[in-house]
Amino acid sequence: MTLPPHNKTKRTTRFIMLDAVIALLPACIAGTVFFGWHAALTIFLSVLSAFCFDLIYYLITHKVWKCPAKTFRGYFEAFDFTQIITGLLLALSLPASVKSWYLPVVGSAFAILAVKAAFGGTGKNIVNPAIAGRVFLFVCFTATAFYPAPMAGNAPVTGATQLQSLLAGETTLPLIDLFTGNKVAGCLGETCKPALLLGGVYLAARGVIKWYLPLLLLGAEGLTAVALQGSFSVFLPSLFTGGLMLGAIFMATDYVTAPKSFWGKLVYFPLVGIIIAVTRYFAQTETTSFVILIMNFAVYPIDAAIFARPFGSEKRRKPHEKNPV
Amino acid sequence: MNAYSGKRFRGGIRLSSEKLSRSLPIEKIQPPDKVTIPLGNARAIVKTGDRVCRGELIARREGKFSANVHASVSGIVILTEARDEGDYLVIENDFSARNRFSEPLRSPTPIQIAERIEEAGIVGMGGAGFPTAVKVSGGKNIDILLLNGAECEPYLTADDRIMRERAPEIVRGGQYLARAVGAKRIVAAIEKNKPEAISLFEKTELEVCVLNERYPAGSEKQLIYSATGRKVPPTRFPADIGVLVQNVATALAVKEAVEEGKPLIERVVTLSGKGAIPKNLLCPIGTPLSSFFPFVNANADSVRVLDGGIMTGTRVGRNAAVAKTTGGFLFLTKDEINDALPTPCINCGKCASVCPMRLMPMQIEFYAGTGNFTLAQKYGGVLACIGCGACSYICPARRPLNEAIRLAKNELRRKV
Repeated sequence: MTLPPHNKTKRTTRFIMLDAVIALLPACIAGTVFFGWHAALTIFLSVLSAFCFDLIYYLITHKVWKCPAKTFRGYFEAFDFTQIITGLLLALSLPASVKSWYLPVVGSAFAILAVKAAFGGTGKNIVNPAIAGRVFLFVCFTATAFYPAPMAGNAPVTGATQLQSLLAGETTLPLIDLFTGNKVAGCLGETCKPALLLGGVYLAARGVIKWYLPLLLLGAEGLTAVALQGSFSVFLPSLFTGGLMLGAIFMATDYVTAPKSFWGKLVYFPLVGIIIAVTRYFAQTETTSFVILIMNFAVYPIDAAIFARPFGSEKRRKPHEKNPV
Repeated sequence: MNAYSGKRFRGGIRLSSEKLSRSLPIEKIQPPDKVTIPLGNARAIVKTGDRVCRGELIARREGKFSANVHASVSGIVILTEARDEGDYLVIENDFSARNRFSEPLRSPTPIQIAERIEEAGIVGMGGAGFPTAVKVSGGKNIDILLLNGAECEPYLTADDRIMRERAPEIVRGGQYLARAVGAKRIVAAIEKNKPEAISLFEKTELEVCVLNERYPAGSEKQLIYSATGRKVPPTRFPADIGVLVQNVATALAVKEAVEEGKPLIERVVTLSGKGAIPKNLLCPIGTPLSSFFPFVNANADSVRVLDGGIMTGTRVGRNAAVAKTTGGFLFLTKDEINDALPTPCINCGKCASVCPMRLMPMQIEFYAGTGNFTLAQKYGGVLACIGCGACSYICPARRPLNEAIRLAKNELRRKV
């Protein structure tokens, strides 16, 4: 028996995810422009390996040895750009000092196999695979903790990042440079804010994300930073430094690892922003990916506590004013 | 009278309103050789071989949620048939057009109107088929009567056409209904995409509420909110907040029952879809689907026939017939339907954002899948679902949300 509705929207998961890939392209281009061809290579390797690991996972779980042609066809029929997004986000959150071929590959392997595939593939992962892969690399390989400035040649610069100088008191660059990413040390995709904003506006215009969610996160982070450092001048610099904007627009808004209900989202996003600001202040370093990773675990309790009430429900009354009807 | 625009309810979707038959006047269908009349919960009082007149009672209502059934043509009862959906009675038409209607009522009292509605077997003709007599004689204090002319489903134009061609009769039917329940205000709620009907009703003595073009604007609870601002609590009925909602086709049937004594034996059916030649046809109840085959588009390959609209209609087989609730038959070609296979839920939340009842379909589907229906109610609110299908329509992963919701509802209702 076929139940209604008999027609469905043509906008499938694949097209939504393709929109997210398109939204990430300006950041990829900006990363290549600022950090040179090594950045392009890192992005390419990361995406390719994410794709390959996802393919391997699919082939094994669908028993490729039984009917190879059918399994390959099935993969391309089920192909939704989620693995490409994971690869892109992982590469964009790696610093330009990553010049070895194996780091993006190892990161993708961890992201796809250990975080996504182990839990059952698309839609089943508990934490954002790209962030988990990034944090895994950060913990395991010291090379990913160096942030060279753009076009600084081969010598890795290990000086304080703009965020660290901001947290210590004052940035060394003017605000306009922080915004455009000119001479800012950092990860491939996080320095050029116009590219990220362009992607964010595209996502919001296409209805992929709700426009107010990244703004809530950013606003909460900026205001908390202002409150902690006691100066209004840190509001914009704190938004423009580190990976906050990349995290707010592309990582925290990941469907799978965000709360389900409207009010749950309204609680979750400002909470992530506040915790980022607080941890940044006390750790004196960038914490965005760590905080989003940890807050992914808070999604389940939020969903269990905050859920929608059907249209027309009476407001919850206190026992003594309960309506006798 | 005056027209006002309806409040916007939360959720809902915009559908392309493919009303292929909206400019075609109502035609009478060729009288069918046989009619297959669905009896619903009513019990047949005629036997095989009995001779019946048009308008004669053939099945009496039994229990609260059933309505009388009358012969829609004159002829001989040749067969009673039990199908999965209920019993059917087949009458062979003798084309003698012998009518047996009740006496028309002159200036009837409220009780007389209610009795006539029950006698004439009138049910809600918008699709739910709830007996109108039950709604009218609820004994609740009702002050507003809403005539539902939203018809928010794509393709269907039956209500639009009767509003354009028989507006004065609908108004009189509405006035009888209002008198039966004691309602002071009568509001005709019409969706914005029917400007002709709106301007016609503005000239009558009814108030007109112009609804936004948004599916499901014609759903009872959303309609009440749009037109009156009142909210029906999930476990209550519109009568509890003083509103009675009736479809415009039902109002027309009430007028005919009161003024002509004619029971509900015919209705307007839209024939549409790319697989058919669009038509609005006045058919006797029980007209078999085969009577519509002359209008099937020979150049298009229709792969599915629906009873009702594309969002809530049910797929029917070859032996289907016009029921009291059939708003239309759609002959759909391959490019008008979409049965893509489901992919994993990505938790995008679109189903929750389009739900007009503010439920969480993804939670319902998840918990129904695990068999934990109590949690499907707690986190998803499944029992409040109105079954509009907006969630299934919008889901980018094509999850079988409507299927999961029906399963959970059935399981929960069985338990209670």
